[in-house]
Amino acid sequence: MKCKKCGGTAVISMRQHNMGLCKDDFIQWLQEQTQRHIEKQKMFTHEEKVLVAVSGGKDSLALWDILLMLGYKADGLYIALGIDEGIGYSAESQRLTEEFANARDLNLHIVHLAADYGTDIPTLAKQTKRGHDKPCSSCGLVKRHEMNRIARDFGYDVLATGHNLDDEAATLFSNTLQWNGDYLLRQAPVLEERNGLARKVKPLFRFYEREMAAYALLRGIEYIYEECPFAEGSTSTHYKELLNQLENKSPGAKQHFYTKFLSAKRKGLFAEPTTEIVPNLHLCPICGQPTSAREECSFCKMMARVDSKQ
Amino acid sequence: MSGKIALMKPTATLVLRGKKYDVKAGSTILSALKKLEILPESVICVRAGELVTEDTLLQEGETIKLVSVISGG
Repeated sequence: MKCKKCGGTAVISMRQHNMGLCKDDFIQWLQEQTQRHIEKQKMFTHEEKVLVAVSGGKDSLALWDILLMLGYKADGLYIALGIDEGIGYSAESQRLTEEFANARDLNLHIVHLAADYGTDIPTLAKQTKRGHDKPCSSCGLVKRHEMNRIARDFGYDVLATGHNLDDEAATLFSNTLQWNGDYLLRQAPVLEERNGLARKVKPLFRFYEREMAAYALLRGIEYIYEECPFAEGSTSTHYKELLNQLENKSPGAKQHFYTKFLSAKRKGLFAEPTTEIVPNLHLCPICGQPTSAREECSFCKMMARVDSKQ
Repeated sequence: MSGKIALMKPTATLVLRGKKYDVKAGSTILSALKKLEILPESVICVRAGELVTEDTLLQEGETIKLVSVISGG
């Protein structure tokens, strides 16, 4: 296959764009497209401070790399979750993240769940009722809480995550299957700051997961290949596989599914948020972060339950 | 002893998550993926450390690493 831009040998074929690109043109194309999406969605400017949530995986490290290449002021945040499961998953992902940051002399915040809260994700999952012994629910709650805390405490203008189009399409598929109206309303590449919640953006929302893996490989970014041991057999993985089957039969299906949803939302196909759908937020009396709960937030409730059992 | 020599079919190897698959050399990676029921959307293909497209012809004796791109959770 030939590169559509220079006629050289293509290293990636993107059937949804009917295009193949060589290494240099693909890297340039992906960075330029990211810049275009950041501007079009008014995500942030070169003057603003960006906090990138990094996990040691391909998407978040690639995002950090792209933002730096585009000249943005971007620091990283890594949350040490304490997931081992016999393969040292968290230790390895932290090592790769620190290596990435050190090699480029970048500022990396690290939250240690064990040191800061005296627990880890597997323990939290066993000691709380969230997720029926599956740690993913507790893990998501911890990550959201800590990302917001660091973004707010260190004065970042925006929090960027490495969600790609496959992540977004799988979430949309899940929310559509269950007609989760409130989640559908909140699913967007930009979530504005409100009531103490940091502004959140997903600059990679238009790229396929495959393109992000290719970018990481071509840029020589070392990332953790192993899947989180708790994510094996997860619903989101299953939905991604289903969507890839659709994509295989009709290239562009995943992209259309997600982008047409965003376009339908813009055109007013979905109802405007009401007070019932978007709950009022107030500050948690323990940690001071916004919550829709009547008293303390879900994070502090979960931690209190763990403390009482220790 | 028979005078006949058994002719070996030329093969290449695909490796996905440590599992090896012997496939016919001379065909494309895409057709090998199809036979193995691996969705091309779920992997990228690496030959000797370099990314290659799925229309690449498999050479006899070579190994292509398939990198799974799906992350869940």
